[in-house]
Amino acid sequence: MSLAEEGHLLIIGAGLAGYHTARQVRAQGHAGPITILGAEAHPAYDRPALSKAFLCGTTDLCDLYLDDPSDPLDARWVRSDAVTALSTEPLGVQTASGTFYLGDAVVIATGAEARRLGGHAIRSVEDAAALRAAPLAGARVAVIGGGFLALETAATCTTRGAGSVTVIAGEDLPGLRRLGRPVARALHSLHEQHGVRFTGAARALGVTRAPGDPQADQVVTLSDGRGIPADVVISAIGASPATEWLSRSALALDPGTQAVLADDTGFTGIPGVWTAGDCALWSAQRTGLRPVGHWQETVDQAQALAAALLGGSPSPMQEPYLWSDQHHVTIQAAGMLALADEVQVLAGSIEGNDLLVSYLRGGTEIGILGMNRLREVVRWRKSRRIRPAVLAA
Amino acid sequence: MSPPIAVFLTEEGTVHALDDTCTHQDASLAAGWVEDCRVECPLHESTFSLTTGEVDQPPAKRGVRAHQVTVRDGEVLVELSTAAPKLPPGVEVA
Ligand SMILES: Cc1cc2nc3c(=O)[nH]c(=O)nc-3n(C[C@H](O)[C@H](O)[C@H](O)COP(=O)(O)OP(=O)(O)OC[C@H]3O[C@@H](n4cnc5c(N)ncnc54)[C@H](O)[C@@H]3O)c2cc1C
Ligand code: FES
Repeated sequence: MSLAEEGHLLIIGAGLAGYHTARQVRAQGHAGPITILGAEAHPAYDRPALSKAFLCGTTDLCDLYLDDPSDPLDARWVRSDAVTALSTEPLGVQTASGTFYLGDAVVIATGAEARRLGGHAIRSVEDAAALRAAPLAGARVAVIGGGFLALETAATCTTRGAGSVTVIAGEDLPGLRRLGRPVARALHSLHEQHGVRFTGAARALGVTRAPGDPQADQVVTLSDGRGIPADVVISAIGASPATEWLSRSALALDPGTQAVLADDTGFTGIPGVWTAGDCALWSAQRTGLRPVGHWQETVDQAQALAAALLGGSPSPMQEPYLWSDQHHVTIQAAGMLALADEVQVLAGSIEGNDLLVSYLRGGTEIGILGMNRLREVVRWRKSRRIRPAVLAA
Repeated sequence: MSPPIAVFLTEEGTVHALDDTCTHQDASLAAGWVEDCRVECPLHESTFSLTTGEVDQPPAKRGVRAHQVTVRDGEVLVELSTAAPKLPPGVEVA
């Protein structure tokens, strides 16, 4: 059941998924009203720079706004009003301010919230601004987490003149389980070249202060009994779907992550209710075929959802793609890395920060990762591109 | 001072010159993908017209400068645009 031409589209969450869904729905010809409800006080903004240029101090919040003030989206934005409940009969949502919004279709795009172990976290611009304002110069910084967000934050802290940066990645080399040994060694080498230290396989258990002395250092306690003293602690240990407000709704949530379950067009199974972005788990993500929590995945989902919502021809999902910036090295990965059973180095070296790696399954290439290999990665993505016409044929 | 300039040769044999730096972030368009007289940024989704520099879709909001190109006896001559360059936030001309 698609959205009628004059139907009211209600989008919950004013982030990347919400903005791109509205943009795609307009681009694909929807004429009816669009309302985007957001909990934050700011215009919708893009998050990737929060751990990079924004944290360095070279860009500001207004540089990160998603909508273009000189060519604004034809949509109504409501800020600072969190949605508290979904109603299926009639279809609509309730907000914290007590307003009920009716919609002909509802898209749930509330993203995710940072998991916090202690100290700083980085999900919202307020989080990033707090860390940006922290006295990092000369400080001992401990970063908990071994994913790209943790590594980017560690790199930015060195740029900001931290006295020392220690990363507690919870594995022998950062990214070892997800990206394989050559890439994990190259990431480790890149960060060591810039003075970042790693604590190895031990996991962080918690963050404490010396009792009775509020001025004392924080200490990150590790599973092997060590304690890492630090002036600034940052947790980058992943994010959980922001779906607490849906716990009593009719929607099916993933028992593990509490993400909203949907098919591969974002349809939840409840008439008129759709979902995309970091709060959602589409079928292909549930089976591990596609990644969760990346920018391009969210943008591609918004496009596919919009096409299905309007009853147009299906919009194919391209090969998954993600990028990261660490110490001025651009890391890009494309394809189904998680399914690989073999990793081959195609070019470059561990120490040269120019590695190009192929991921294979049963001898067939299914993914690629490059460090400062922009040309090779773009060529790979284009060679695997799925065109809508091919799908329709 | 001018920011770096990228010169493109299309499959059709035409030559074009644009400011090399994407207006979204500091990425070199020379490493991008050329198709249908546009270049796609190697990092994100925006594509720029090789003839006018205009941008088609986010995340970049502004186009890049296009420069006048003449090919004479196999030499590429570029006449710099007099417009102000549109660099991404935080990036300055060295
Ligand atoms: C610091 C950081 C760096 C990143 N860097 C990269 C990168 O380099 N490469 C990459 O591929 N990806 C990166 N990502 C991931 C990418 O930004 C996310 O995948 C993307 O933001 C997901 O978009 P979303 O709209 O689902 O969620 P969000 O962007 O989180 O937006 C959700 C919005 O919904 C709002 N909301 C939540 N609950 C409610 C409610 N009940 N009512 C109303 N509104 C609500 C939230 O306040 C928020 O504004 C990064 C993420 C972060 C946090
Ligand atoms: S850097 Fe070019 S589109 Fe983002």
